[in-house]
Amino acid sequence: MLFHTPQFFLFFVVVVALFYASPRPFRKYILLAASYFFYMCWNAKFILLILALTAIDYTAARWIRRAATGARRKTALITSLAANLGFLGFFKYYNFLASNLALALGRPAGDWALAIILPMGISFHTFQSMSYVVDVYRGQQEPITNVVDYALYIAFFPQLVAGPIVRAHDFFRDFYHWRAPDAREQLLGVWLVVFGLVKKLVVADQFARLADAYFANPAAYPGCLAAWSGVVAFSIQIFFDFSGYTDMAIGLAHLLGFRFPENFRRPYLASSITDFWRRWHISLSTWLRDYLYIPLGGNRGGRFQTYRNLLVTMLLGGLWHGASWNFVIWGGYHGGLLAAERALGIDPKPGRNPLRVLLTFALASIGWVFFRARTLPASLEILGRLCHGPAGHIMWPHWQLWIAVSSLALAVAEERFEWFERLPETPAWVYSGALALCLLCLELIGFTDRPVPFVYFQF
Amino acid sequence: MTRLFLRLGLALVLFLALDSLAFRTGYTSILEPNSTAGYLEQFVWNEIHRPLTGPNQVLAVGDSRVGLKTRVADQLTPETGYTLATIAVPGTTPRCWYYMLREVDPRRDRYAAILVPFDTYNDREFEPVADRELDLRYLAPLLRLSDLWSFSMSYTEWPLRALAARTVLLKGMAFQQDFQAYLAHRHAREENVRLVHRLGASWIYTSIWERHNLEGIEVDWAANRITAFPDWMDAERRRGAEDVLLRPVAPVTPSYAVYRLRWIGAIIDRYRGTRTRIFFYRLPRGPVVRPGLPEDADSSVRQLARRPGVTLADEHTFDSLERPELFGDAMHLNEAGGIEFSRRLAQLAGKWLSAPQEPAR
Repeated sequence: MLFHTPQFFLFFVVVVALFYASPRPFRKYILLAASYFFYMCWNAKFILLILALTAIDYTAARWIRRAATGARRKTALITSLAANLGFLGFFKYYNFLASNLALALGRPAGDWALAIILPMGISFHTFQSMSYVVDVYRGQQEPITNVVDYALYIAFFPQLVAGPIVRAHDFFRDFYHWRAPDAREQLLGVWLVVFGLVKKLVVADQFARLADAYFANPAAYPGCLAAWSGVVAFSIQIFFDFSGYTDMAIGLAHLLGFRFPENFRRPYLASSITDFWRRWHISLSTWLRDYLYIPLGGNRGGRFQTYRNLLVTMLLGGLWHGASWNFVIWGGYHGGLLAAERALGIDPKPGRNPLRVLLTFALASIGWVFFRARTLPASLEILGRLCHGPAGHIMWPHWQLWIAVSSLALAVAEERFEWFERLPETPAWVYSGALALCLLCLELIGFTDRPVPFVYFQF
Repeated sequence: MTRLFLRLGLALVLFLALDSLAFRTGYTSILEPNSTAGYLEQFVWNEIHRPLTGPNQVLAVGDSRVGLKTRVADQLTPETGYTLATIAVPGTTPRCWYYMLREVDPRRDRYAAILVPFDTYNDREFEPVADRELDLRYLAPLLRLSDLWSFSMSYTEWPLRALAARTVLLKGMAFQQDFQAYLAHRHAREENVRLVHRLGASWIYTSIWERHNLEGIEVDWAANRITAFPDWMDAERRRGAEDVLLRPVAPVTPSYAVYRLRWIGAIIDRYRGTRTRIFFYRLPRGPVVRPGLPEDADSSVRQLARRPGVTLADEHTFDSLERPELFGDAMHLNEAGGIEFSRRLAQLAGKWLSAPQEPAR
């Protein structure tokens, strides 16, 4: 039951109706039941994993609070982290480690491989769990005393599958001080859902077809321009796919009275890679900052230690995305660029400089080659095609070029005027006209019989 | 909530207005001529734009099995007094014919007669047509908002009813692929459409016919197999012939009778009280016909033929054309068959129309 399917919308309408029709004390049970149902629509067996992690982390946090000594608190913390990382490690990284170990010992890569299904959203909900337990350990978060409340935090369906990674204090602030969304928030919620759908179905899925075609067989599209157009198609796909999903998640949560933090802030208008990471997948980058980079020492230990910390954080951030060397290299590439920008003293936000924006976009796009290509040799081949060879032709049809140009124009306008956020305050005909235009785009381009899955669902 | 629902309602109205503005104000004239909808639209466009030579116009509806060559038929105009035209589109069904007729003859005064073909007067259903999804694709350009209920409910399954309603309401979705293809190759499309319009009906009326024939084909009906094929038939064509000729006798189904009563009945109702007469005839069934087929008893066709303004041809009228040398494949007349069929149909139409209208039976 993906967000962009009619089944999901039917499900959501039923949940909203039940939610608002029920007395307030029952609402959390409705949301929890709906969230578990949503998860079980994918694979019912894996609900046991969610239940187990919920029980472990809920108990660990309460132990941490009650423990008399530092050692007991630490034991509870380590138990919780080990459980989360253990599950994550087994489901996500076992085959990667096993195949590398096998190769290192001169055995066939698949010798110790297991047929493991990656549980949906495991990377996201384990990170939420870990941040909660760590926050309790640090004394920044009171442990939750009601297991149903905590279970809902972990399984809340709008953000269960692909984030945003919501911190416990943000979630429980809304949960314990719940108020019905006012008219503005309702309008914003609906707008975000519809606009997220447009991002996903109208833009991302169109460019997905181009990117898929190029990455499947780069040799079929000779030339530097073809290579850049294939790679940029993926840059566009991944942003609109993931930010479209996030917009929908935030919008759905809004309609239920939960206010999730922003996850993307026009990252392709960033003036540097440092700026890019302040705008891209903000909930992950701030998580990595707060729970990895700063504990590693952050920028407090001198220049080289800072570079090391950046590199380690980004390498692990890369590995978080997937169990392959390509993701490690992608993380390392970004870590290296962040360190280089620091070393060169590059101002991360120098104001509007189109050339720097273009350069940053090009650097991010080069990074996406590792992210998208299946293997390292394939990545290197595409990188080679980006740099040399005949000019070739842009592989985009004209009208997709127009989609890209229109999207850029909208992003620039949004960067300057932030009118999307202000849309609910505009006159009815402006708001409704914008929605109508979105619906027309979805009708003409978006809704097809061949839905493309969300990219980040695989993580 | 009120504010939200008001704005959502306004958005929906604006969206439907935009959809209508884009797709109900002439987009159908630039549909890809080689698409299902575009192909049907070309037939309709040609018929609407065909210069009429007088009031004695006879129009044939039907599918690909209507082997009418109007050039041949119209050689007999001095004799019969009538000019024949066709909107017989391959793959269409009575449901499509009704909407096509509505489009080409909005005032119900254009034709002296409509020729309606049947493959059998019995209600033997060779393929289920009531829930035929392909009709949606054919009819997308012709459906109006006022058809929402009647057209959608003509399907029996709810998912298809929903799809039909969507086709009526949301033209943009019905033409989605066509629109995207248009955006991708706008100039080529416009050029193609211009060319097809310039050629007018001639691309239908002068199209090349199959010149092969099935002489030499032999069927052992007892063993239900074809024992001899013409030499020119390759393996694929032979399989095609087997699929058609050897298929079991289709059962008589009440649902098919209901379907025919509904859509052929709608055509008759449409012309009730006008000068237009409706003629039913049975098509030549094939190069060889399975022996011992049950005679058609009282069927929906015969019930319909009892209505005023309807004439039913004897079902054996074209039996003499059911010969291998007049067919290009197991279903379709070849050029020689088409010429003979056209001549006979024109003569019959002339004869029917010159006869006094029979009172309702």
